[in-house]
Amino acid sequence: MSMSDPTGSSITTVPPDTEGPALRSPAAASAHRVRAVARRHWLVLKRSPHRFFDVLVWPLVDTLLYGSIGLFAAQAAGDSPSATTAVAVYLLSGTVLWHLVHQTQISLATGFLEETWSRNVLGLLATPMRDWEYLAGVGLFALVRTAASTVAVAALAFAAYAFDVTRLGLGLIPVAALLLASGWAVALLVVGLVLRYGSGAEALVWGALSVVMPLSGVFYPITTLPTVLQPVAQVLPTTHVFAVGRTLASGKPMPWGEFALAAGGTAVLTLLSLLALRRMLRTFRRKGLVTRYS
Amino acid sequence: MLTPPDERPPVLVARDLVKEYARGRAVDGVSLTVRAGERLGLLGPNGAGKTTTLLMSLGAVEPDAGSVEILGHRLPGDRARAMQGVGFVAGYLPLPDRVRVSEYLRLYADLYGLRDPHAAVSEALERFGIGHLAAAIGTQLSSGQRTLVGIAKAALHRPRLMILDEPTASLDPDIALRVRTALLALSAERGTALLVTSHDMTEVERLCGRVVFLHGGRIAADGTPEDVARTFGRDDLEGVFLHLAAERDKDRERERAATA
Repeated sequence: MSMSDPTGSSITTVPPDTEGPALRSPAAASAHRVRAVARRHWLVLKRSPHRFFDVLVWPLVDTLLYGSIGLFAAQAAGDSPSATTAVAVYLLSGTVLWHLVHQTQISLATGFLEETWSRNVLGLLATPMRDWEYLAGVGLFALVRTAASTVAVAALAFAAYAFDVTRLGLGLIPVAALLLASGWAVALLVVGLVLRYGSGAEALVWGALSVVMPLSGVFYPITTLPTVLQPVAQVLPTTHVFAVGRTLASGKPMPWGEFALAAGGTAVLTLLSLLALRRMLRTFRRKGLVTRYS
Repeated sequence: MLTPPDERPPVLVARDLVKEYARGRAVDGVSLTVRAGERLGLLGPNGAGKTTTLLMSLGAVEPDAGSVEILGHRLPGDRARAMQGVGFVAGYLPLPDRVRVSEYLRLYADLYGLRDPHAAVSEALERFGIGHLAAAIGTQLSSGQRTLVGIAKAALHRPRLMILDEPTASLDPDIALRVRTALLALSAERGTALLVTSHDMTEVERLCGRVVFLHGGRIAADGTPEDVARTFGRDDLEGVFLHLAAERDKDRERERAATA
């Protein structure tokens, strides 16, 4: 059977192909979607040399900066071994551990922004991909990127300042997990705000953690903060995670009470971020905000 | 023997869609059924509600009232399964930067859950005659090539319905013809239904067997291009379009006068 369109192009017709292509099982399809999103962001990173500044160059510069300040402050502290150790532990453990939060948050949030910059949001919404599959894909990419950055930072801290992050022992694993979760939680909140308020909220991708860091006592005890800010610092789960990390880095046993506060606070923060993201995604669909990217 | 159009199963059923934005009501009670293999043009001047209707049909925008079902799956709850049967192309959307055409198609083949994504990508590249573009980065492509890649992407999973928003906007006539021919072949060979918006009325007359005109967010006409033109007492769809655009401008003048 054949037909021609009004332009004269001949089109051969056959009985409609009602059989769809072979599909993966739902679980396998989900896993491949997650991997495909992570791979897509890896390709973008691979072809964007300037982004390696975020992954490697700036973290190494930070390590040099804070490591050298730490060394100077320790030397200025005089002959007191405890003061020397405390300063070094605060600055170097803070530098290495902070990169877990910072890289995770930046990687996940900029991963989503990449879709807005390349106007790919509408294309993604018109596929069977579920919201959680997309977030898991960007989260997986963020995990790999964070691992690469943190290994580089930890290696420099060891080579230049003899700070061995593995001195935290097995306690490093739950501390790292809580910091990754904190980074994800802040990133989800920022992604939600960008969905809701558009490019005006993009500055938060780089700025949100600038507020969290000084309040979390990353490089100093929070008792040095102005009195009025100390209760705010106590509420942040990151404050307690860093307190646990420093305790372990000092060679002391796991402070379980502090750890419970850190874990509970991180769980609450993550849950609130997910709820906020869901609400803002709903608003995004209800208000037709996708047209910003089409 | 072909099944009469009105007996073919529906692939898209939109009922009483309403969408209100801050600037006013964009869609006001639109009901639309697209049947398997049907090629439907959704037309109207700017602001008529075409794109909002398409976005609600994709689940990307939530209607204030009304419902959308695709292949029996109701949005938004069953969106993932519904989208398994839908391909979407927009002539105005670029391809992502820093990703090769083959990688872009592979990404979507995985998002559609295809068991053999490599074979699907190869077939799509061959079908649309763009195999030579496989290694090109999106930004290196011309508008026509980008559109063909977009159609190849949307057809990877053999959707039962393709939604196309301005698929040939700003294309040269020869490239537009190639795109149109590819879409007609897809519809003929696979029974894929096409829901198309376009400002090019000649193109719509060549591509679509049925047209729905929107005016002020409501359906102003529904039928074959010839019937619709006759209903409005015009020679062709362009005449209908110009008539409705003039009506829209008069409506706006009246609104301005009323609020002044």
